[in-house]
Amino acid sequence: MSSTYTEMPLPLRRQPFPVNDKRGSLSIIFFIATEASLFAVLFASYWYMAKGAAVWPPDDPPKIHYALGMLAVLVSSSIVLHWGEGQIKKRKVGAGMAALGVTVILGIGFLILTVLEDSEHLSVLAVNHDAYSSLFYMITTLHAAHVTLGVCMLSYVFLLPSVEPRSVTPHRPYHNAALYWHFVDTVWIFIVLFLYVSPNVGRR
Amino acid sequence: MATDAIAERLEELWETEPTLYGRLATVDHKIIGKRYLYTAMLFLIAGGIEALIMRLQLVGPNKTLLGPEAYNQFFTMHGTTMIYFYAFPILVGFGNYLVPLMIGARDMALPRLNAFGYWTFLFSGLFLYASLILRSAPHAGWYAYVPYTLQTYSPGLGMDFFALALIFLTVSTTAGGINFLVTIFQLRAPGMTISRMPLFMYSSLTTYFSVVFALPAFTAALVFLELDRKWGFHFYDIAHGGHPLLWQELFWFFAHPWVYIVFLPATGMISMLLPAFARHPIVGYPYIAVSTILTGLVGFGVWLHHMFAVGEPQMSMSFFSAASMTISIFTAVQVFAWIATLWKGKPVLTTSLLFALGFIATIVIGGLNGIVTAVIPVDWQITQTYWIVSHIHYVLIGANLFPVMAGFYFWGPKMIGRMLDERLGKLSFWLMFIGFNVGFFPMQLLGVFGMPRRIYTYPAGEGWTTLNLISTIGAFILGFGLLLSIINFFVSLRHGQVAGDNPWNADGLEWSIPSPPPSYAWVHLPTVVSRHPLWDDHDELYDPNDERVFDQDRLTLSTTWKDAEPVSLARMPEDTITPLAISLTLSVIFIGILLTNLWLALAGVVLSLAAAAAWIWPKHGPKAMLEPQSERVTA
Ligand code: HEM
Repeated sequence: MSSTYTEMPLPLRRQPFPVNDKRGSLSIIFFIATEASLFAVLFASYWYMAKGAAVWPPDDPPKIHYALGMLAVLVSSSIVLHWGEGQIKKRKVGAGMAALGVTVILGIGFLILTVLEDSEHLSVLAVNHDAYSSLFYMITTLHAAHVTLGVCMLSYVFLLPSVEPRSVTPHRPYHNAALYWHFVDTVWIFIVLFLYVSPNVGRR
Repeated sequence: MATDAIAERLEELWETEPTLYGRLATVDHKIIGKRYLYTAMLFLIAGGIEALIMRLQLVGPNKTLLGPEAYNQFFTMHGTTMIYFYAFPILVGFGNYLVPLMIGARDMALPRLNAFGYWTFLFSGLFLYASLILRSAPHAGWYAYVPYTLQTYSPGLGMDFFALALIFLTVSTTAGGINFLVTIFQLRAPGMTISRMPLFMYSSLTTYFSVVFALPAFTAALVFLELDRKWGFHFYDIAHGGHPLLWQELFWFFAHPWVYIVFLPATGMISMLLPAFARHPIVGYPYIAVSTILTGLVGFGVWLHHMFAVGEPQMSMSFFSAASMTISIFTAVQVFAWIATLWKGKPVLTTSLLFALGFIATIVIGGLNGIVTAVIPVDWQITQTYWIVSHIHYVLIGANLFPVMAGFYFWGPKMIGRMLDERLGKLSFWLMFIGFNVGFFPMQLLGVFGMPRRIYTYPAGEGWTTLNLISTIGAFILGFGLLLSIINFFVSLRHGQVAGDNPWNADGLEWSIPSPPPSYAWVHLPTVVSRHPLWDDHDELYDPNDERVFDQDRLTLSTTWKDAEPVSLARMPEDTITPLAISLTLSVIFIGILLTNLWLALAGVVLSLAAAAAWIWPKHGPKAMLEPQSERVTA
């Protein structure tokens, strides 16, 4: 409405601006938030059913050794990936990419273990045996799907550098995929605690 | 360089090709926003026709227009359409169109995700309506309680259509929610600090945070339902240790915030347009902002309030009824602020303001009703009567449809470049307002007289006949009023007075550009120094050295989330068909599941992954620094 110009109080003279924004990271963070909420709902359903049941779980609890092995795989993958991101920030691209490759391999290892565990577990507990089995397989399978997505993201970053110049720091796609990967790992920690450890320890 | 030359370059960069491919591939938020609005309006009309047919069935005792099963399908389709496919998407449409323009950005933060959100919304709606054509529509109401919705009691595809369509829709809603959050946090104009944001941003942020956290509960509940129905899982099956009440817990954890989700952006729109017509800055800006956020937060805690009729332990019951009352207080804060704004200003009584006033009047009545439902013993008596039908509509029409109409008359000229006719508009308002009250007030009485909801007909001697007749007449007046506004829109599209940049003398940034806005919105990206950009004496567009033109590519400024200091440029994607492609391949998955054809579903998954790969593969060359623009300075 008015055209009088007041002295620009804004530091807009910092030109040229880099073309490098954080939209991707912020989107991943909100995506993780909604996914975390999904898993929270599934865990809440698990406890809700446990509360109403005389014996929980109503069937034999799952064996714990696979789950712990898989936990070791995922946790070490997260550590490697975190180290790799540090290398990338120090512009040691080769080391960072090597760490990324190791993480992808560990992720695939996790998926192979999942298949082994499931084929063993399915022979004692069918998926649609009862409410407990429904929920158990729902949660673990959904998590495995997330691991698969995570592996896809990491592989994508692995293939990216041919187009992404290495001079850009911090390496955004790397960082974003790593965020998601750490989230997937964290969920597994909760799954091990709730679905594997607790029924074996505190069996009512 | 002359402004015209720059504008031409920008237009070349940002325009949507006027070909069929261009239209399908566009990522322009203004086009997508309008599509959202039109599509949601079509759903409103579809749901409205269903409602009028129901009212015809109930116009007198023992009518035979609809049988019992058909009536069940009608109220289910009506409720589902209105709640999921109209009330929220229409607000997404306004948000999509307005948020970038209000904060001075050239597009949403994630334009392709935006297009994807629209296509999935459209396809999920078509998916739901396919059930009506195949004559197997869902029939269990918009909240689909188990065990009635399990295979044993609801065979056929009806409930599968319901569950799958809504799972599909949650994909769209989640994508949209994330997009709005990122946009508002990252793309605000330099200087638009968090305490200077338009109030619409507060209601949008609160809404989309709620979406991000509450929606997964619904998704999970629907997935459980579908697995139970199709593959013999036992989430809700009591015989195998399942829990029917689990559905209700999950559903209301989502649906209670949802009521605020379809309400908050509407209040945000009122807070934007009321000051323009009151010709006075909004009173109590910080109070409105804070109470908006608190409404969202407490909304989560209130879900158990809907569970009273089912029975929860006493402790939680009193806590949650207190929470419901608390929300009413936050809403009251906003109402007082609006009234104070009108009081201090010199209001101009336009159609838009009339709708806003109709809204305020209604939520005062509806809010009082809400307080009544929050008082526990009353709940037991009336949840299953027409009292609740009346209450739902006072809340939803009052707090959603009226603000939407107000927004339509306020921002319509911005979108189409022409003014809507005021005489026809006012007539439309009065018909809608009167029809609404004549239609829904008698339902309160019917509830008190004990008429149950969801009955397809009633016997003559109950004393319900006259009130039902009045209610049906009111419904038709309301429908006719809406029709007038739609006619008004189409007539004004051609013959309306040309609007100009700022026909209302409003204060928001969206009024600093032509109507309808060019594809790039601003030649010079605006800067902001106060809450009312166009009412202060800072010139938002002042940029003598062309420093904020950014015409090397599709670019807009990215700023810090709190102080909105410019830090970098966000490069926006080109138009692309991948969002449409991936929505189509997702539809294949859902059709496969519907037909229990896992091969088809698998094919859909593979195609979706391929489409996703095509989507994310980078098309830009190296993202180096852009060249400085110093050569411009001399021109
Ligand atoms: C012309 C306007 C409208 C009329 C005449 C109308 C009429 C009706 C009628 C007759 C019912 C069925 C009551 C029963 O048998 O239990 C109903 C239910 C419902 N309506 Fe409307 N309605 C209108 C607009 C709306 C709007 C705009 C919304 C939401 C934004 C809405 C949301 C609902 C919901 C959620 C239900 C409950 C469905 C269920 O029982 O599951 N209605 N409406």
